[in-house]
Amino acid sequence: MKGRYQDENLKWIPALIALVILLPFMLKGMTFSYKYYLYILNTIGIYIILTVGLDILSGYTGLISLGHAGFMAIGAYSSAILVDQVGLPFGLSLIISPIIAGLFGFIIGFPALRISGMYLGLTTMGFGFIIRRLIIALREWTQGSGGLVVSSPELFGFTIKGDWANYFLVWTFALLTIVASRRMMKSKIGRAFMAIRDSEQAAQASGINLAQYKMMSFFISGVFAGLAGVLMAHTNHFISTDHFDNMLSIYFIIMVLVGGMGSIYGAVLGTIFIVFLENLIVPVVEGWLHAMFQNEAGDIESLIFGLIMFLFIIFQPTGLYGMWLKIRIYWKLFPFNPKQKFT
Amino acid sequence: MKRITTIIMFVMTLGLIGCSGPAGSPGITENEILIGNVQDLSGPMKELGKIIPAGSNLYFDHVNNNGGVHGRKIRMLVEDAQYNPQKTVVAVKKLIEKEQVFCLYNVIGTSPAEAVRPLLAESEIPLIAPATQSGTMSDMSRPAAEYIFHTDTGYDIQSGILIDYAKGMDKNAVIGVIYQDDDYGENVIKGVEESEAEMGITVQKESFQRGATDFAGQVMNLMKGGCTHVIIAGIVKEPIIIMKTASAMGFSPQFMGISPTMDHRVALAAGPAGEGFIAANFAQLWNSDYDVPKLYRELCERAEVPEAMMGMYHYYGFSTAIVLVEGLKRAGKNPTRKKLIRGMETFNNWDGAGTQPLTYNRNDHAGAESVILVQILDGVQTTITDWLK
Repeated sequence: MKGRYQDENLKWIPALIALVILLPFMLKGMTFSYKYYLYILNTIGIYIILTVGLDILSGYTGLISLGHAGFMAIGAYSSAILVDQVGLPFGLSLIISPIIAGLFGFIIGFPALRISGMYLGLTTMGFGFIIRRLIIALREWTQGSGGLVVSSPELFGFTIKGDWANYFLVWTFALLTIVASRRMMKSKIGRAFMAIRDSEQAAQASGINLAQYKMMSFFISGVFAGLAGVLMAHTNHFISTDHFDNMLSIYFIIMVLVGGMGSIYGAVLGTIFIVFLENLIVPVVEGWLHAMFQNEAGDIESLIFGLIMFLFIIFQPTGLYGMWLKIRIYWKLFPFNPKQKFT
Repeated sequence: MKRITTIIMFVMTLGLIGCSGPAGSPGITENEILIGNVQDLSGPMKELGKIIPAGSNLYFDHVNNNGGVHGRKIRMLVEDAQYNPQKTVVAVKKLIEKEQVFCLYNVIGTSPAEAVRPLLAESEIPLIAPATQSGTMSDMSRPAAEYIFHTDTGYDIQSGILIDYAKGMDKNAVIGVIYQDDDYGENVIKGVEESEAEMGITVQKESFQRGATDFAGQVMNLMKGGCTHVIIAGIVKEPIIIMKTASAMGFSPQFMGISPTMDHRVALAAGPAGEGFIAANFAQLWNSDYDVPKLYRELCERAEVPEAMMGMYHYYGFSTAIVLVEGLKRAGKNPTRKKLIRGMETFNNWDGAGTQPLTYNRNDHAGAESVILVQILDGVQTTITDWLK
């Protein structure tokens, strides 16, 4: 009998692990400012965990969320309170806090049973606002909008401190998230999600329980966002409501959209692309504009992000991953590829 | 297998090469001192983000034109973090690790400045004059407090002083506070609650979200509560809109403001509605006749600074730059980050920055704990008190 994953190419997994392990060493060899780049890579790793979860919800199940920063906040604050105020070990909080965020996702899943599209987007955006207000209201534990100092993570008796150690912690979970999500999306659950996205009626007619799977999708997505929040809180050592504003949720959607909705690799590529763009490309463009016009460039970042989203939606709706697939097919067929198809 | 081993060996070698860092103190060369500043150039406080560093550069240019600090010219790098703590951490990381700045100066916003504490401790880098007046900045029990030198009086202290003053004006004063529901407002409320406990009074509290432009609901509630004195904890546009809204509603309490509302544009834009508005100020008035404000106006004139830019925030950048330069002077001819910290800790009632006298020592990095009150009289900001504690 044919195995479930027999068709899938698994060679990339060890190559990816090797790359992740070797990357910080290469950076250290190449530049004095490797710690800055390591920090950016850590941010990418944390965001990948979240955007992969968001892709499961929005890309695979077709349920839009504009409030994922809220789930991230729940994970971050839950862990900060559980570890630093309740006294739970970090390892346990690493399991409990994402589940708490997932349960909030489960609750948000209820309205998703009746509404969709723009209305669901607005509901989830409202959820993001509510979470911020809730954090401020629970000031006894959260210190209100003043922010909360968070301890370093401790695992198996070791305190994980500094960019180097954070990198391996974050990327271990990022890799696990990528692999687990790929597996999940190839399973019955993933197929059910995609069936719901493509046609709810057809999915229901095929025996898929819409309520169960929609709420499961919200739960899974919430768990991933919560995990990202836990890692962010304990590697940054400080969280506040300003860390989780609704613009962040919009950025997450941009990352998934630019990467290519409905593909785990797409979410990964989109996250890497947007974070690099924000931290490495935008400052250079701002510098050029400043030199050319002898004036402050203003909010060039939002302009660039808006433009990129606009261009991707019109010219490349399948995102970066779709682009990669086209290139791959092109080289596979080369030199016998039909000309018109790859313009 | 052989090829993989070769690649791993190559990468490891690269790693080892990278272990050796640049020699000497970061950001210090024979003729330059590089400092890092994080501002909001494209976020909710972008109008301040451009004005504050412009004020700082006005003084740095003056110092540089006069030979610099121990022969070294000061160069300031400004990073945009959009008043976002996460982006501020990235910006500070870039300034420390990539740009190799000597020290940090003027990181704007309470939560952004709080967020960088772990980086200060990790790199043992001082942060001079964080551009927030939150009292948490000078709380020596918080992480990395030994690296932060606060120049401003805390919002909590300011709100206490304003309540005291209101009660001094009228012992039956019914006080209300309308505050931004963020880290800034949080610190104001801390001071209000301390006064409530101390004086046995109840202060009516109304909050608004950062960026709000409609305050009719809050003003109505304060009017219903019969407030005779209302403290505004906003920035520039909030006091203007609040006082105009109250005027339109026929509500005319004595309005008072925390120092960010002290900008002269409040007097200009609020018009008759703003007449009599009292604001706390942590520095000498920029258009007063003291030595530093005089120098400020002289340099502004020489550099042809647009009149619209001059004022409290521009002067804030200017006066905190004086504090930093004095610290750099005291760090000696061969400055290190540790020497800068030790130099700052020798400030003893030092009043050369056009602010209130500053004092720092190992156990106290608050710098200042008093304000003067400034009132709009006939449309002009006028100092009405001496330094109040």
